[in-house]
Amino acid sequence: MKGLLQKDFRLMVKQSKFFTTIAFITVIFAGVVENISFIISYLTFIGFMFTLSTISYDEFDNGNAFLFSLPITRRGYVVEKYGFGLLMGGSCWIFATLIAVVCGQVRRTNSINDSLAVAFMIIPVMLLLLAIILPFQLKFGGEKGRIAAIAMVGIVFIVFLGVAKITKTMHIDLSGLLNRIETMDTRMLGVAAIAVSIGVLLLSGRISVTIMEKKEF
Amino acid sequence: MLKIEHLKKTYDNFSLDCSLRIQPGAVTGLIGQNGAGKSVTFKAILGLIKADGGKVTILGKDIQDFSVKDKQRLGVVLSDSGFSGYLDVRDVISILKNLYETFDQKFFMKQAQKFGLPMNKKIKEFSTGMKAKLKVLTAISHKAKLLILDEPTVGLDVVARDELLEALREFMEEEEDRSILISSHISSDLETLCDDLYMIHDGKIIFHEDTDVLLSDYALLKVNDSQYAALDKQYILRHRKENFGHCCLTNQKQYYLDNFPQIAIEKGTVDEVITMMIRGVEE
Repeated sequence: MKGLLQKDFRLMVKQSKFFTTIAFITVIFAGVVENISFIISYLTFIGFMFTLSTISYDEFDNGNAFLFSLPITRRGYVVEKYGFGLLMGGSCWIFATLIAVVCGQVRRTNSINDSLAVAFMIIPVMLLLLAIILPFQLKFGGEKGRIAAIAMVGIVFIVFLGVAKITKTMHIDLSGLLNRIETMDTRMLGVAAIAVSIGVLLLSGRISVTIMEKKEF
Repeated sequence: MLKIEHLKKTYDNFSLDCSLRIQPGAVTGLIGQNGAGKSVTFKAILGLIKADGGKVTILGKDIQDFSVKDKQRLGVVLSDSGFSGYLDVRDVISILKNLYETFDQKFFMKQAQKFGLPMNKKIKEFSTGMKAKLKVLTAISHKAKLLILDEPTVGLDVVARDELLEALREFMEEEEDRSILISSHISSDLETLCDDLYMIHDGKIIFHEDTDVLLSDYALLKVNDSQYAALDKQYILRHRKENFGHCCLTNQKQYYLDNFPQIAIEKGTVDEVITMMIRGVEE
């Protein structure tokens, strides 16, 4: 595990130009865009992107065959990829949250509590995104994986629309349910959302292990 | 060290059924044409592909039960795969240090210098020879018990090949019970390095012999039609019709030297044995 993390960190350092550019763009965004949720989501997603790009690096030139001849297991590989994604996404989230808090204070648009609340509400969305994208990336690899993941996000969106339509035709009061959720304690709602997203992430990890165990190199 | 019993793997137009055994302290060669099943065998041994049947036992353990710790006792070179080309040698050292408890950094650095491997150049910018040297160095730098080397000398010039073979000999001399399974297209590499040779053809092992025996007892008999008719064929393994008459492969050179002094007898080489075993007809 330590060796794999070492490899991925070193591969990430090789992309330092990309990293600097992203940090630069974020600072510019922070100066121009007042929507802090966009800044935090954007930078956290970029953090996740690093783990996706390391999967592409691993696959390049049939590198996986050699990688899995080293003292690692397929399960260990999956755990490392999720861990690396959370580490990078988490670091970027902290960095972006700090920028958001500072910007909110300087502009006097958001209180620290408001900025933190927005930052915490983004966590479950980001975790769900990671939970969806990673298995696709591991199953289909680089380009195909990204296309499949985008398609999956589209499917989820269509399913939600479908559910909304069906509940409407069946006269189920979905908006009433949503209103009830809105009236719930925000903190409780946030904690519940994070708990659900962690559950989905664990399920996603399990699916990824199955995918990797079936793979041949 | 390694025991393979009827390892089976079937693809659309290829079927592997391979059995072989590597003794402690031995260097065993696996030879065969392109597509004969060498790489499939290596990948199945390493668990990179799932076998359809058979049993692989490495260092006394079934491959299915092989743990991370067990894998630390293997050194592997794959012909078509290695570390990411975006890493450099310093990165590789750092990764190996974290992967292998027994990684010998001092040895690695010394050998890297000897092989002329630059520390801060990306692997993708290395020459073929440098890449091959790095692969072998990676395999031999953590005191492995068994090396599994698939075409480690492919694409190398004579000098580079010699350097690598020398490194492998030194690896074997360090500890008595170390073993190597190696495949190569270059028969001279195998003749000088291996204790015994397996030949694989169309996914099956068709030949196994000690290298010393192969080089001393195997021979090609070049005979015309009448000599062929009179020849005692009990020790002829394969024969092939050629322009001048017949070419016969035997594993009893001395018998024919003693009893048929009038016929042309040529010393057997790995290349000739391979050719005859594949193209010749069984007597």
